[in-house]
Amino acid sequence: MVSKKVLLVGNFGVGKTSLIRRFVLNEFSEDYISTIGVRVSKKIVEFENQQVKLIIWDVAGTTGNEKVPKAYFLGASSAMLVFDVSRVETYLHLEDYVQTIKELSKLKEVTIVGNKKDLLTTDELEKVIDKINVKVDLVTSAKEDDNVEEAFVMLAKESIK
Amino acid sequence: MKKSPEDTQKDKRFELLRELLLEEDRKELESLKEEVLVHEKFSERVAPLVDEKIEILREKFPEYFGDTITETIKIQIRDSQDEVIEALYPILGKLVKKFIISEIEKLTESINKTIKEKFSVKEIIKRFFKNKKNNADVVLQEVFHPIIEEVFVIERDSGLLAGSYSKGNIADKDMVSGMLTAIKSFAEDAFSKEAQDLEDIRFETFQLSIQNFKTIYIAVATSGVLNMDFKSELSDKIIDIAEIILKDRSYLNDEPKMNALLLKHLIEKESE
Repeated sequence: MVSKKVLLVGNFGVGKTSLIRRFVLNEFSEDYISTIGVRVSKKIVEFENQQVKLIIWDVAGTTGNEKVPKAYFLGASSAMLVFDVSRVETYLHLEDYVQTIKELSKLKEVTIVGNKKDLLTTDELEKVIDKINVKVDLVTSAKEDDNVEEAFVMLAKESIK
Repeated sequence: MKKSPEDTQKDKRFELLRELLLEEDRKELESLKEEVLVHEKFSERVAPLVDEKIEILREKFPEYFGDTITETIKIQIRDSQDEVIEALYPILGKLVKKFIISEIEKLTESINKTIKEKFSVKEIIKRFFKNKKNNADVVLQEVFHPIIEEVFVIERDSGLLAGSYSKGNIADKDMVSGMLTAIKSFAEDAFSKEAQDLEDIRFETFQLSIQNFKTIYIAVATSGVLNMDFKSELSDKIIDIAEIILKDRSYLNDEPKMNALLLKHLIEKESE
């Protein structure tokens, strides 16, 4: 089975950890992420008759302002940038974040996911997506387990491209 | 004296009155008598059966209720950890003390035995001619023989596990490789020594030695006392393995093949 390192990045509080919790059971203790700024989890994803072992690096912070070792971004096969659809400050500079991730990881594409869709009405959600100047690939709700699996399958597909 | 007709009449009336007044009580008395008799008869018939059932229950109690009781105890312990710790602390303290004393005794015996053997005239002469290890190394290595506990071959950038050997059962190796890579990157970054690599991590009785190569690094966890000879020998073996892997990169995509290589070059050679 092929193993791939994938990144999960996004501002504090956007729900990255909740997405992982929803998707993965097997993970390290909460203490690590606050100490070294990353948590590694694992999940085998199956799609279109193939299996990919995702080694998910949940990196605290993305903007380049946080002191996160650049090495965390190396060797990744795909990356998911998560923002909170209910908090404007988390998607205001998405374009810059994407650029930073691309530079650090040398990836050509970054999957963009808006989380916490359960906090907005459909109209409000549409308005938010319209406001964002990069293409949002998926909106999810970790709380209601909506589109979580789809987001990670998208990440897995991207990793084997 | 013979009763007069009047007296006889009075007696009859009295008897009638008594019958009228005590009729209910008599009925109740009869009913109670019957109940007691029925109960006695019932007891006679049922008692052996009950005894038999009790005997069966006594014999099969663990089978019937073992799981439930174990589960209940587990829940109780989980819900009242502080109380359990408080209750166990003095007992554990004594046990730990006993264990330490017993281990120190064993260690003393072992050191004495090694000293006797290694400092015999024959051994001293042998070492004099070989002149390789110092005396402290000889004793320490004999007493705390180093053991290779875990080996990880990890892709340097991604932290993905390419192969491993494990003496025991450790947590998920993929995640350990990832976290180890993250810790390594964190340490290198925190001390702003990007051109330098983290080489050793010590934790309790384990020592993790890391040897870095261009695209991979090999981490070996050992227990026991590592003397210079063992370290140097281990380092040579790791370099040999890295050379094989980097010459034939198919090892990096074939975990079973890599694991077999580690077993052959590190573990089997070690035990020879």
